[in-house]
Amino acid sequence: MSGLLARRLVALPFVLLGAALLIFLLPRMAGVDTVRSVLRSRVAEAEPDPEVAARVTAELGLDRSWLEQFLRWLGHALTGDLGISFATRTPIAPQLGAALEVSAVLAAGALLVAGLVGIPLGVWAARRPGGLADRAVTGFSVLGVAVPEFVLAPVLVLLLAIAVPLLPATGWGTPAQAVLPVLTLAAFPTALAAQLTRAETLDALGRPHVAVALAKGIGGAQLIWRHGARLALTGVTALSGMFFAGLLGGAVVVEVAFGIPGLGRLLYDAVVGQDLPMLQSGLLAVVAVAVLAGVAAELLQLALDPVARSEAET
Amino acid sequence: MRRVLVALAVLLLVAAFLPVDALTTNLADRFAGPSLAHPLGTDNLGRDVLARLVAGTRLSVWFTLLAVLICAVVGTLLGLLAGYAGGAVGQLLQRVLDVLVAVPTVIVGLVVAAVREPGPATLLIAVLLTGWTPFARLAYQLTLRERAREYVEGAVALGAGPGRITLVHILPNAVRPLTAHACLRFANVLLSLAGLSFLGLGAQPPTPEWGAMLAEGRQYLFAAPQLVLLPAVAVVGVALLVTVLGRRLEGRWSGR
Amino acid sequence: MPTTPRRLLAVVALVGLLGGCGGTAATGDPVPDGELRVAAQFAPRSGYAMDTDDAFVVAQVGSSEALVRAGSDGTPQPGLATSWRQDGASWTFQLRPGVTFHDGTPLTPSAVVTALTWVAGVAAPPRAIKGIGLRATETGPDAVTVTTAAPDPILPLRLSSVNTAILAPSAYTGGPPSVIGTGTGPMRLVAAQGNQEAVLERNDSYWGGRPQIAKATVRFITDPAARALALRAGDVEIAQGLPESALLEFTPGNGYADQTVAAPRTVSLMLNQKGAFADVRVRQAVEKALDRTALAEQALAGSALPASELYGPAVAWGSQDPPAGPDPQGARELLAQAGSPQLTVRLQTYPNRPELPTLATAVQGMLREVGIDAQIQIGEYGPQEPQLLAGDYDMFLLSRNYLTDVPDTGSTLVSDYSCAGSYNINQYCSPEYDALLAPLATTTDPAGRQAVFRAAAARLTADVVGVPLVHSQENAVTKGVAGFVVDPLAKQLITPELTRAG
Repeated sequence: MSGLLARRLVALPFVLLGAALLIFLLPRMAGVDTVRSVLRSRVAEAEPDPEVAARVTAELGLDRSWLEQFLRWLGHALTGDLGISFATRTPIAPQLGAALEVSAVLAAGALLVAGLVGIPLGVWAARRPGGLADRAVTGFSVLGVAVPEFVLAPVLVLLLAIAVPLLPATGWGTPAQAVLPVLTLAAFPTALAAQLTRAETLDALGRPHVAVALAKGIGGAQLIWRHGARLALTGVTALSGMFFAGLLGGAVVVEVAFGIPGLGRLLYDAVVGQDLPMLQSGLLAVVAVAVLAGVAAELLQLALDPVARSEAET
Repeated sequence: MRRVLVALAVLLLVAAFLPVDALTTNLADRFAGPSLAHPLGTDNLGRDVLARLVAGTRLSVWFTLLAVLICAVVGTLLGLLAGYAGGAVGQLLQRVLDVLVAVPTVIVGLVVAAVREPGPATLLIAVLLTGWTPFARLAYQLTLRERAREYVEGAVALGAGPGRITLVHILPNAVRPLTAHACLRFANVLLSLAGLSFLGLGAQPPTPEWGAMLAEGRQYLFAAPQLVLLPAVAVVGVALLVTVLGRRLEGRWSGR
Repeated sequence: MPTTPRRLLAVVALVGLLGGCGGTAATGDPVPDGELRVAAQFAPRSGYAMDTDDAFVVAQVGSSEALVRAGSDGTPQPGLATSWRQDGASWTFQLRPGVTFHDGTPLTPSAVVTALTWVAGVAAPPRAIKGIGLRATETGPDAVTVTTAAPDPILPLRLSSVNTAILAPSAYTGGPPSVIGTGTGPMRLVAAQGNQEAVLERNDSYWGGRPQIAKATVRFITDPAARALALRAGDVEIAQGLPESALLEFTPGNGYADQTVAAPRTVSLMLNQKGAFADVRVRQAVEKALDRTALAEQALAGSALPASELYGPAVAWGSQDPPAGPDPQGARELLAQAGSPQLTVRLQTYPNRPELPTLATAVQGMLREVGIDAQIQIGEYGPQEPQLLAGDYDMFLLSRNYLTDVPDTGSTLVSDYSCAGSYNINQYCSPEYDALLAPLATTTDPAGRQAVFRAAAARLTADVVGVPLVHSQENAVTKGVAGFVVDPLAKQLITPELTRAG
């Protein structure tokens, strides 16, 4: 077990380096006039002026060769200095940290809902396959995977903020403001969790030792919950990649729709404003989160599922 | 039930070729209600909503299909190769997959849009960059599993080369789960495409595309909610259709 | 989540009861010391840097002020300076007595010099003061002298720009100036959370009178649909820049008040005179083919005004007349005369302003009627700009603010239409036109300058240098406020007269 994980962790810096180089090169290879884009994002209707462009190019350090730029950036990044944003001309690291915090809260909230609602729903549905509960849950879960966030967001706002003025429609900071975005983001993982849990529970119920236990008369409900929930968790963590991809991607749309200052919104603004350093750092953060999430998920899976553990040790 | 699903799927594929007029504006007849001339009414520029929905299948259905197909072929090839080579190459693929599978298409789309102009080509690139990973993983695992089977060992003993083994033994068994998976990925790609268009990074106006129609329609949410609901139903409907189809295929073919 | 029907009914009933207690807001008496929430249209993208467009945000929320105010008639009015006098290439500004910054320090000539010296020395100088060689020096205990490289007739107007706002000396300590608690305006910036929201408190010792609003929260919501939702849900009292369709929802009967004013912004169809549109008859044909009234009232659903020339009702020298009606037959005749009865051209634009793709589609339809096949290409503005400047395009739909940030349009006339202009997209070059602009270098008198503007605009219309299509409008919808006025120059939002009404 530790061998597999060690290999994963050793690969991490190389993966990040490769990703950093790729992300660094991409905008520069495309031949977009970065300086003009940056200037226009500062003053929307400024006319082109070669003198000003030259001054700002030097100011942003874009007049050096790309290798030199990359090595400089790398050197600073290793000491924790992610550079200066082209847009705000202030350090990137604090902005990125704040955005990560917000996105983490949003994602954690969505995952919590997915776990607390999705898993029990799946187990409940599996108790009587083909029954009313099962069909309702299956219907909900299939719908939840198919409805995109930008459709769900205005619907939820319409229902819970306007028709019934219960919650604020936009903004971030108070618990009340967090409800609608978290619910919108949670739809996909909850539905997925319910589906997986149901499948795993049905599978578990079919296994010999469980059937024996049931035959012996050991409490059915308790058994289902204990085995089903645990197996569901392993199933969920096995698909953690898809989960996180769904969460991060959905978060961008939710953040833009609700005006939340998270990582997705930061990346979107960086793309629109050609803020290359911010884009680089933001993307690296995403990649790092993705890899770390994968490692964490695997750890969790190994901890929960003895079968996987023994497989990993061979 | 399955026949109904298949019929619907065929209908979607055919719709893209129907000669509908999705672009002509009629400023005097905006926000019209359903009528014989316009069964679903008109939008904010007087264009026929039904025509735009139908024309939207070109992007939403065919383009997505193309993207999924390319992903499937590329991913499967890479997975097969890695599965066959095994060892270090296989490990490398695993590491790359670990990272890529968790990077969402929307974010990749953002990056690609930063270096290129927004548009269908950009979307294709964005989808391709990460979309091949699930297929590669699946193909890799299948290849490993099949290689260990007796009949493959037997074939090797008989002197069959790796190419032949792959084509004759591994691929036929892989096709079914891959197809089922492709259906599931289709919904995901469709939603990513719509999401990117919603963010303004996908199809540009006046191209009819369901996500873009949704984004435009949000402004008129109260005045004309059907401009939001109809494309939403289209997106969700097609995603649902393909997902259900995929699950049924998967269930049928993997013996669950 | 599943719940028993009875429980669901009870929840709905309870919520309905609570919801009903709110009642509809009535426009009533001003509520003193009220709290205000605003949904603002543009977010500060550059960290509130005062040499960028973010300076508009700092000014709108009522925190910063400049030496001069722009009057509604385009003349300079006293701001932090009460009077000024020209002396060759220098202008001496008399500072207003008794003004203190939000951090308690007094407004002194030294503070003004610090502020102006900073803005004159940034790498990308603001348009208002670009290229004039601005230098500021103290003159006595209450005056500042500003000198330029050459005598400048509109220096006071330039110093009404939000980029030249005067912040406290404590703001200018290296790096971008800090805007928290360093202004002079009616509201003091207390917290600025990135580009999400800004919190302000009343400045009790404001020189222009004690503000009515005690606390304000400005939320930056760039998505127009989200702004409308925020207003609808009661999250804010003022929402800027709502799409026309949303206005239908906010009726006076429900307590909403809508203000729409003409903005100094025109959407024009640029015609490349170095390429397909070198012949003036072809350009005239395009003009005759377009029904600008229909574009404004139908395609844009009345959210813009039809344009007959470059300048509209937002400025004193603008035209109030409606444009000539469409003449498709005349257009066809002109095209035949010019020898190109059928024309295929590219019509390019960008999607950042929602009205542009809509207009492009409508224009395409109108041009088709006279035999011009316009193929629409919509893409990001950035990559297209080099093509435009090089004259490698056919038609381009552009939205342009012709007042930049100084209520004097002289610089736009030079940059956009003179032979050597840095932004002459139409590729227009006419020595007669350049000669028309000559008096602008020396005329101080506003009436004289406005006469030049009118003449220049008339010349551009006669030569069909691009076709101005519509004049944009600014709007805002409010509920439960009094004393709110939409500023077409986008410099004022929260003023001392603004108050909650109950």
